[in-house]
Amino acid sequence: MTTSAFEQFTHDATAKTADLRHRAVIQKNIASYDAAVARGKSRFADWQNARSHAAAVKWETINHLDRYLEQFEANVLANGGHVFWAETAEDARAHVLQLARRHGVQKVVKSKSMTTEEIHLNDALEAAGIHAVETDLGEYICQIRGEPPYHIVTPVMHLTKADIAQTFQEKLGTPPTDSAEELAMIARARLRREFMTADMGITGANFAIADTGMIAITENEGNARLSFSLPRVHVAIVGIEKLIPRFEDLALFWPLLSTSGTGQAITAYSSLIGGPRQEHEVDGPREFHVILLDNGRTRLLADAEQRDALHCIRCGACLNTCPIYKNIGGHAYNTTYQGPIGSVITPHLRDAQEWSHLAYASSLCGSCTDVCPVRIDLHHHLLHNRRNAIEHKFDNLIQRFLFRAWLWTMQSPVRYAIAAKLGNFALRRGFAQAFLKPWTAKREFPMPPKQSFRDYWRQHGTGA
Amino acid sequence: MEPARDNILDRVRAALRVEAHRPLAPTSAPIFPAVSDPEARFREEFVALKGQIIENAEALRMFLKGFTKITTDGSELVGKAVGEANASVHECDLGVTGCDCLVAQTGSIIVSTLSAGGRALSVLPPTHLVIARRQQIVPDLANAMALLRKRYNKRWPSALSVITGPSRTADIEKILVMGAHGPKQLAVYFAE
Repeated sequence: MTTSAFEQFTHDATAKTADLRHRAVIQKNIASYDAAVARGKSRFADWQNARSHAAAVKWETINHLDRYLEQFEANVLANGGHVFWAETAEDARAHVLQLARRHGVQKVVKSKSMTTEEIHLNDALEAAGIHAVETDLGEYICQIRGEPPYHIVTPVMHLTKADIAQTFQEKLGTPPTDSAEELAMIARARLRREFMTADMGITGANFAIADTGMIAITENEGNARLSFSLPRVHVAIVGIEKLIPRFEDLALFWPLLSTSGTGQAITAYSSLIGGPRQEHEVDGPREFHVILLDNGRTRLLADAEQRDALHCIRCGACLNTCPIYKNIGGHAYNTTYQGPIGSVITPHLRDAQEWSHLAYASSLCGSCTDVCPVRIDLHHHLLHNRRNAIEHKFDNLIQRFLFRAWLWTMQSPVRYAIAAKLGNFALRRGFAQAFLKPWTAKREFPMPPKQSFRDYWRQHGTGA
Repeated sequence: MEPARDNILDRVRAALRVEAHRPLAPTSAPIFPAVSDPEARFREEFVALKGQIIENAEALRMFLKGFTKITTDGSELVGKAVGEANASVHECDLGVTGCDCLVAQTGSIIVSTLSAGGRALSVLPPTHLVIARRQQIVPDLANAMALLRKRYNKRWPSALSVITGPSRTADIEKILVMGAHGPKQLAVYFAE
């Protein structure tokens, strides 16, 4: 029997919500993120206005995407690079494998890229006998643990030093340690050897700059810089929504992304790659390939109501602020992109019916919309996805009957009064708790008072 | 041409036939506060990020004593300050380069394949020393981008990096560790 995405989600979310250790780890991490972001925002003259600027630039780009894609392509080609258009994940994977075969690639170093997670590139490379090594520390830890990233920016936010030390001990045979620095140095030494012997570097891109034909990569560790400096071939996998019009736009987008991502004014390394090694240059890859990936993005583009979800710069702020994310954790979503943005876009990128439940993984509190640096109307889009699911009849008959019954009850004061009395009686006698089991199994349920508010009001009301 | 290109562009054009709601327009107020004293601001930001400023020729001599294998970008400015290279980029313990400019707003150093001896020299060695001139400090990122545009608009270098402090990671419990993959130490010397 196969488990549906919804059943899996309910199962995993229920388990994580009751996991107090998980909650403590996440709260500690997010508290330090919150403090850093507050400091970071204070470096802007007006954060709200900066968001408006960014939203305007992304609106302009996404709503004239054909023009900017063509401009970007022409400039990459003029710089001596190659551009491949991939309609699906399968097309993108096949092209990477073809390039790898053509260049006799045995080892690939990868810098952190959610787009390569989205197309499950590592599995395809390994299946073709090509060793693919994740070089971002967080992604490296995920890879040796054999689990997907927990968070789009902070892949191992759910792990403690002790967890990681244990993983290294088990998988790499290194001595136990309680020092984050020692762990990072173990990874540095091992990965340095991989960089020196890799044939191909694969990266994503945080931005693709139309008017210069460059890709921009934001990072702190230097692994992306090594990935596009040392190997013979550099392949960048870029979602078509990553475009920005002008080189100068980065003076806003670099600080905006790093402030929302980690609270830094700008990350340690913000790099631009505009092609392969040129004749007069001393090093760099002989070939530079950009793969422009659709994989469902044009479907989202066609939904004018939710088109602004393509403005996303993948900063992770909406995950960090989401009360649902903080309780169920990143893995329960079972999607490449977690949290509010993931719940909005996944039904468009994958199967709308199978992933419609994600729209309910929200309290609709609107915090995601408030923090989004490019002003995506996230919580309304979650509401839109709920409406879309009903319109496409993805809900079930029991739900529909219960909502009808609720509507019928609420439309008459008499029916409401009767229902309230029955409910109060059932709860006080303990009959109703059986139906509330999914909620009460892990939570206390308060006993309702004998007298309802309506009765109390009738006796003690203003009497005017 | 491959049909995928046309298919994607056709889908984009078809999708854009329906107009999306326009966001509220931003005001023309500046996005970042103005930087009044660029050199002071650069120093403050750079040191806060654990960058090291080598204040004078004597301090530079002392600093260089800590390294035996040095690689440089071969430029005149760097040669005058530290002499000739004596190791390859893969073996050296110090890489010395110039830069395009320094950004006061963020304490950043902008390097390119042209200004800093290629791609690897400013990221592979365990220590990176930048030789710059004070006049290369610009107030903010917007000015830096304008300068790069002016300098390279005819022919861009194949790679540029805005370097802001030594390499770092906070992937483990948000604990800051220096020297994740790139240089553990980053220093600047202002040549007279």
